[in-house]
Amino acid sequence: MNLLEEKQPDCPTDKNTCPLQDRIRRLEEKCKELEALSQVDALTGFFNYRYLMNALEQEMERTRRTGVPASLIMGDLDYFKRINDTYGHENGNLVLKTTAGIWRSNLRRIDIPCRYGGEEFVFILPGTRLPQAIQTAERLRRSLEKSPLSLDGKPIVLTGSFGVTGIVQDQDMTSGSIIETADQLVLRAKSNGRNRVCYDTYSSIAESTGVRDEEKNLLLGTDRPTKQKR
Amino acid sequence: MTAKKRPPTTICVASGKGGVGKTSLSVNLAYALVKSGSRVLLVDGDLGLANVDLLLGIPIKQTIRNLLDESGNPQDSLVFPIENLGILPATSGVPEMVTLGPDEQSRLNGFIEDLAVGFDFVILDTAAGIGPSVLWFNRQALYNIVVLTPDPTSITDAYALMKVMARQHPKNAFFTILNAVANEREGRKVYNNLQQVVSQFLSMELELLGTIPADPAVNRAVKAQTPFIQSEPECPAGMAVSTIAAKIEKWGK
Repeated sequence: MNLLEEKQPDCPTDKNTCPLQDRIRRLEEKCKELEALSQVDALTGFFNYRYLMNALEQEMERTRRTGVPASLIMGDLDYFKRINDTYGHENGNLVLKTTAGIWRSNLRRIDIPCRYGGEEFVFILPGTRLPQAIQTAERLRRSLEKSPLSLDGKPIVLTGSFGVTGIVQDQDMTSGSIIETADQLVLRAKSNGRNRVCYDTYSSIAESTGVRDEEKNLLLGTDRPTKQKR
Repeated sequence: MTAKKRPPTTICVASGKGGVGKTSLSVNLAYALVKSGSRVLLVDGDLGLANVDLLLGIPIKQTIRNLLDESGNPQDSLVFPIENLGILPATSGVPEMVTLGPDEQSRLNGFIEDLAVGFDFVILDTAAGIGPSVLWFNRQALYNIVVLTPDPTSITDAYALMKVMARQHPKNAFFTILNAVANEREGRKVYNNLQQVVSQFLSMELELLGTIPADPAVNRAVKAQTPFIQSEPECPAGMAVSTIAAKIEKWGK
């Protein structure tokens, strides 16, 4: 890939017009085009799965080195199969394309929107803490809900279910575990009624390191089993 | 004194809650250890809001921040308020110091290791809270002392700190100092509850290093920017610190 950044070699025969050089130039342009295409999902214009996994590894490394957290949002369209079944796959594709357009306009330039697969999308938010990422996910959710699509002349309200998780300086975190967490949160959003945002409250960490009432009572020598007031 | 070959004993002093007298205690322990013949390096690990220099009223030349930014000679950063007591000062009011990246952590670790040569004890005085820098300093130390007062929030925060440390980097034991207690009995009672919970929920030992009575001499010393162990060594707090220092001294042997 770095070949492309190298200086064009001089024509060995020193002519003004060199068909060989022209050809090289054309090939280089084609090569750049293909490189861009290899990173992008043709339908939505979002980055593709391969780019997503690279970008995720890179953001994790940045967080590891700097301690600055990042976040990841996974979004899944609700009842997308019904759209495909009712209106056909062509319309299904149109829905995916339109949704991507709506979401793109609700993201910052530094955010990395990706199509994870099917009707599932992943957004990497570099240098973004969880609370801010939750707001972004909420914005994505609302923007879709507020923009009904017209399919076969009928207005269709589309919704999405979202999971938001933090990328923090944690030795045990892998790209796989982050995606897995986000996936679980999307499932939770689905089972809680769809069209909602679920997020990682670090409950697993809080559970293992937070001080529970049971411990607090013993520490302070208080007898009441739960909260003392009220 | 001849230089010992063995590496210094590293002790981390933390508290969970702020304002429990942790830094004052670190300073006084350092003085007490020096008094009985040890050489002590005191590292101001309260990287965002350092105040060891304030407690001692000493001017500082350069701080840990300068070292990390400009990579000066660590030896130039050390200040010696008295013979055999070296202090590595931190910077006050620099928020980015609170989170050290892995690169900075390993460099800081290197600086401290270099500086520690020739000292018997390294005391790492950490910030309040359970932030990354507090946990990092605690990981570097062989002995972890947690300071608390009988105040319920202090007890809970001290336990929260121990719980996080126990979960992330399990050790065998914590040591605790009960500060500003009304009397020995009160201190013992707080310790007994804490020890029971630590043993039951964290499966770790908690050893009481000592209790320090609430003593007006402590505040007088802070205002005068001098350690109470220097200005009023016979005050109740001073006597208690000396007893604790005698126990710590044995760790170095």
